Amino acid sequence: MSESGINHKFAFYLGCIAPNRYPGVESASIKAMKKLGVELVPLKGASCCPAPGAFGSIDLKVFYAMAARNLVLAEQMKMDIALVCNGCYKSIWEVNHKLKHNKDLRDDVNEVLKEVDMEYKGTINVYHTAELLYNDKFIGIEKVRDSVTNPLTGARVAVHYGCHLVKPHKDREFEKEVMLNTECPTWMEELVAATGATPVEYRNKMQCCGAGGGVRGYDIVHALDITNEKLINLKEVGVDALTDICPFCQLQFDRGQIEIEEKFGVKYNLPVLHFAELLGLAQGMSPQELGLDLHGISCEPFLQKVL
Amino acid sequence: MARTKGYPEALEKKLRDQRYIREDSNPEFTKNVKAISRTIAHMCYQCGTCTGSCPSAPRSSYRIRKFMRRAVLGLENEALTDPDLWLCTTCYSCSDRCPRDIIPTDVIMSMRNLAFKRDIVPVNFLKTVQAIYASGHGVPNNDVNRAAREKLGLTRDPPTTHMYPEYMPGIRKIIDHYKLKAEADRIVKEREG
Repeated sequence: MSESGINHKFAFYLGCIAPNRYPGVESASIKAMKKLGVELVPLKGASCCPAPGAFGSIDLKVFYAMAARNLVLAEQMKMDIALVCNGCYKSIWEVNHKLKHNKDLRDDVNEVLKEVDMEYKGTINVYHTAELLYNDKFIGIEKVRDSVTNPLTGARVAVHYGCHLVKPHKDREFEKEVMLNTECPTWMEELVAATGATPVEYRNKMQCCGAGGGVRGYDIVHALDITNEKLINLKEVGVDALTDICPFCQLQFDRGQIEIEEKFGVKYNLPVLHFAELLGLAQGMSPQELGLDLHGISCEPFLQKVL
Repeated sequence: MARTKGYPEALEKKLRDQRYIREDSNPEFTKNVKAISRTIAHMCYQCGTCTGSCPSAPRSSYRIRKFMRRAVLGLENEALTDPDLWLCTTCYSCSDRCPRDIIPTDVIMSMRNLAFKRDIVPVNFLKTVQAIYASGHGVPNNDVNRAAREKLGLTRDPPTTHMYPEYMPGIRKIIDHYKLKAEADRIVKEREG
């Protein structure tokens, strides 16, 4: 470890929902990662990734160009990107990967970027913070465990992996091979265990939250019905909280529970926390510091258990 | 066809005869889907693993396997005018499990792109384009959140296009290059007046 305690620096790509709906995810990530020797530097002027479902469905060419613009901003900083959202990972990582390996796409994109004095070169990599936490090349489980000052002992926590970080695994290239298992992965459960909480398995845990692909906007009842199925499966095993690594999934589970109550008349009151928030709690940050009061579903019952 | 290269011509002819073409098939559609999706829909043998993996299938009439067949047969109108096209959550479970290494999700994405070219598109998708054109964000900041950010010790606006609006002209130039905003505006206006 260097004198400052910082071993790695990344350009922090925020996306939309984390900074604009769950700002606690942003502040928790910055603080928690700093304690683990990783500095997240703001990626100035970044835009929406853009949304892979809603924007990509309209025109993939524009989608590639817009994602490439965000990548170029980081290339200009000569820094790899770290991000906190599966949807952003799908756009930013996948477009980076596609442009690196397909000259025709790269040429198309650069023709447009020329108009704004930019050029995509393919000089950086893109990582999800969950991946940085799990991979000991950057941080690793041991260090995560060592950073815990307030172990979340006794709390039963289930994991929602979401889709776009790990699927389709045929196209993904993780250094940690276990992350390529998309039928029943357990690497996030290992991270949950490192916070002192008890990870809990549940039926069909790899199912989608229902929000993606523009479906939340197109047919909210359909999207919520998928979410509801997951909530039923979670209720079956009894958990104190659900943790996710995607603010969009978080929005769907958290605000979605309020909508489910309105539309289906079912109440779950299941606290939903981004893993950055969960880790923040375990590292001794206060609920106020993490902005947990901004959640649609109160985190109080869970907090009473762990604080 | 690479598969029959070196085989007698008769075999190639036989395979050609067996290709099932309906009157409403448009071979161009098959080609366009392949070009945009960059996946191999024609390798599909209709096993149905995709539909079996699909979270949208149990709660709707959306059948991804059906769309795969439409891609192969070039059934353009049938595919693009089906409202189920927009029920894919793009979870990629089908793509994860496809025994033919096809990415059915990307076939759906390409069909949505082609539908948009014919003005067939739900308005919420266009509104995302408009929002990004306006502020750079699909989900923009608001005053309640600004106050919350301040309390957390963050800047009121995140250090994105929100804090640095000088980046917006570049973004608009990229979107305008494809005339996407103009198209979105036109369709939204036609629908909503």
